[in-house]
Amino acid sequence: MFCVVSFVILSILSVFSAENRSLAREALDCVLRRVTLRPCNTGFDEKMKAKILGFVITKTETGARILNRFFEPLSWIFILLFLGSTFFAVRGVYLFYVTGSCNGLNQSGFCVFDPTGQSNQISNVGESCPVVLPGEDPVSLKGVNLSGFPVMNENGEKRIVFIGSYGCEYSRKAYPVVRQLAEKSGASFTFLYYPVKESSDYLAKIGYCAYRQDAQKYWSLVDTFFTAERSQIEDESFIRQTLAETGYNPETIAFCATDPQTEWTVKKLLNEVVKTGFFGTPTVFIQNEVLIGPKPPRVYAIALNGLLYWAR
Amino acid sequence: MEYNGTDFGEDSFIGSETMNIEKIRQDFPILNAQNGRKPLIYLDNACQSLRPLAVIQAVQHYYEESPACAGRSMHRLANEVSRQVDEARQQVAKFLHASRKEEIIFTRNTTEAINLVANALDWKTGDVVLLTDKEHNSNLIPWQMLAKRHGVCLKFVPSNSDNTFNLSAYQQALQSGVRLVAMGYTSNLDGVSIPAEEVVRLAHKHGARVLLDAAQTAPHQRMDVRRLDADWVAFSGHKMLAPSGIGILYGKYRLLEEMQPFLVGGDTVASSTYEDCQFLPPPEKFEAGLQDYAGIIGMGAAIRYLQQVGLEAIEKHEVTLNQYLSEALKSVPGLQIIGPADARLRSGIVSFFIPGVDHHRIALMLDQMAGIAVRSGQHCVHSWFNARGIAGSVRASVYFYNTLDEARALVDALIKIRKVL
Repeated sequence: MFCVVSFVILSILSVFSAENRSLAREALDCVLRRVTLRPCNTGFDEKMKAKILGFVITKTETGARILNRFFEPLSWIFILLFLGSTFFAVRGVYLFYVTGSCNGLNQSGFCVFDPTGQSNQISNVGESCPVVLPGEDPVSLKGVNLSGFPVMNENGEKRIVFIGSYGCEYSRKAYPVVRQLAEKSGASFTFLYYPVKESSDYLAKIGYCAYRQDAQKYWSLVDTFFTAERSQIEDESFIRQTLAETGYNPETIAFCATDPQTEWTVKKLLNEVVKTGFFGTPTVFIQNEVLIGPKPPRVYAIALNGLLYWAR
Repeated sequence: MEYNGTDFGEDSFIGSETMNIEKIRQDFPILNAQNGRKPLIYLDNACQSLRPLAVIQAVQHYYEESPACAGRSMHRLANEVSRQVDEARQQVAKFLHASRKEEIIFTRNTTEAINLVANALDWKTGDVVLLTDKEHNSNLIPWQMLAKRHGVCLKFVPSNSDNTFNLSAYQQALQSGVRLVAMGYTSNLDGVSIPAEEVVRLAHKHGARVLLDAAQTAPHQRMDVRRLDADWVAFSGHKMLAPSGIGILYGKYRLLEEMQPFLVGGDTVASSTYEDCQFLPPPEKFEAGLQDYAGIIGMGAAIRYLQQVGLEAIEKHEVTLNQYLSEALKSVPGLQIIGPADARLRSGIVSFFIPGVDHHRIALMLDQMAGIAVRSGQHCVHSWFNARGIAGSVRASVYFYNTLDEARALVDALIKIRKVL
């Protein structure tokens, strides 16, 4: 079994060092003989065993004696460890490809391909914000009434629901990706604005009024808010200017936003968002998946169209 | 780099009987190499020796200063090479105490020298070639080929139980009519030498010619081919400080004249027509094609170096080391030395095995743990091992630059290894 372990290790080492290539070839020959039930007569096992023993003996004679005695069982242990680590490594690569994290969808923990955990980062709902803290219930759209929220391609076969905030860096990162995916795929796209910071609370009312007034222009307004500087969306004059440039009447929208009825409705809508159990933005619902944090574009695409999304 | 032929320092040698080994070791670059590895303890001298700076410089000098053909062109470079080759041939002749330098033929190695004799004689079916039972393949396979091709009969003189030469068995074998006695002078298996003078005397008495494979003799002890009276003596340069790829065949001039050339072509003939050719006299008729001039010149430098050290001192030093090793290795449980118990009969070679322990594993561990280079396997004497059912052995072979500390390191390492294996 030793030649199998050696082959794997030497193959990896030989990528970096030519010295190990000939040994890797010998190991391969030995492995091929073993798998075809022939004895490994290349002397490779002996050579490597002697080299290892020669090294260990300089450190500890007892260790060398034990190693010599239990060489084969130790080889088996290494094989099992190798198989186990290979399984977890392959699983990690697969999960990273599908969910953007080596540990699974929305799972934190170290991932070698995403060492800073980018794809799981969210803007937590601020302490000063009303309502939510991470709940024990799973994040879900079950029991949530989405009828009052802005929706694009309402009759789309598939459904995407995006909870985001203009002031959230991660929402700003995910929004264009998800929006483009929705447009390209024809899926219905529902936008649930949730102000993670109190300072952007009023934008919920502005957005509500704008959508009520003209649903077509509304998406252009949202696009602008997500792409504008974060400091700008807290600037009233910028908001007014954007509304005007998008084709709205800023005065009408401002009037609507201060209407108590609007305030009541928006509060109701925000309560619907809270019902999802979400705890930060962006949170994206695609079909039956919940994607929390800004994922790589392929992850959204896979959630919508499956593993072979690129073939569609 | 300037080369003056003898620039290895006279101070290295104190008389002919004792040697300043520390000084000598400074002449061998590899022994002083600082490459981040363990210091080299080279105990594989029976395979190939290390090379001193004097030899390396001689080779480099040839390639830098006169990289031309000898004996063909007339320009100054060619003349210089011709002079140096001639000088090297003279040097070898002097080293062997040969009657004349024309008795020295440059070959690639011992193997080629033996093949030359085997292929240059006119064999008849039933001719007997007498060998010992522990010949190196170089002095076995050429005769086996003759047996297959010409019906030559091979006979083997069995060694005594301690692997020493069995003189009475030899005398008995000679009675049956032998054409050629071809024997290893000193065995590469165990370092045992045959009583060469007696072997030659008895062979000649029975009308047989003698070829001695002196690959393990010439580097380690003084040789006098006239006193030996051997008809041919073959040895290699690479075991005696010279570059690899150069060997020597000594032959009595009269016999060389009678022999047919083995390899033929350029430089072996005085002239040729479309139908025939006129061969040059020895040694040229045996030296076909462009020669290894760098090797020949390096051989000359190696012999000069060995003569400066003194072959008597070399032999004495090797036996001293072997005596220490043979005694100290008794403390390694189960270790068996091949050959006689008396280390003085085994020159600088200690060949041993531990039943049940793989010899290659021992050699690899010695290298890995202590930087000790030894040979493991059957040392090209497969016939001896196969006949006795022994898988192989580890062979430590010393030379004059090895020290007692190195011998101690080998013993210490083997004791450790034995505890583990």
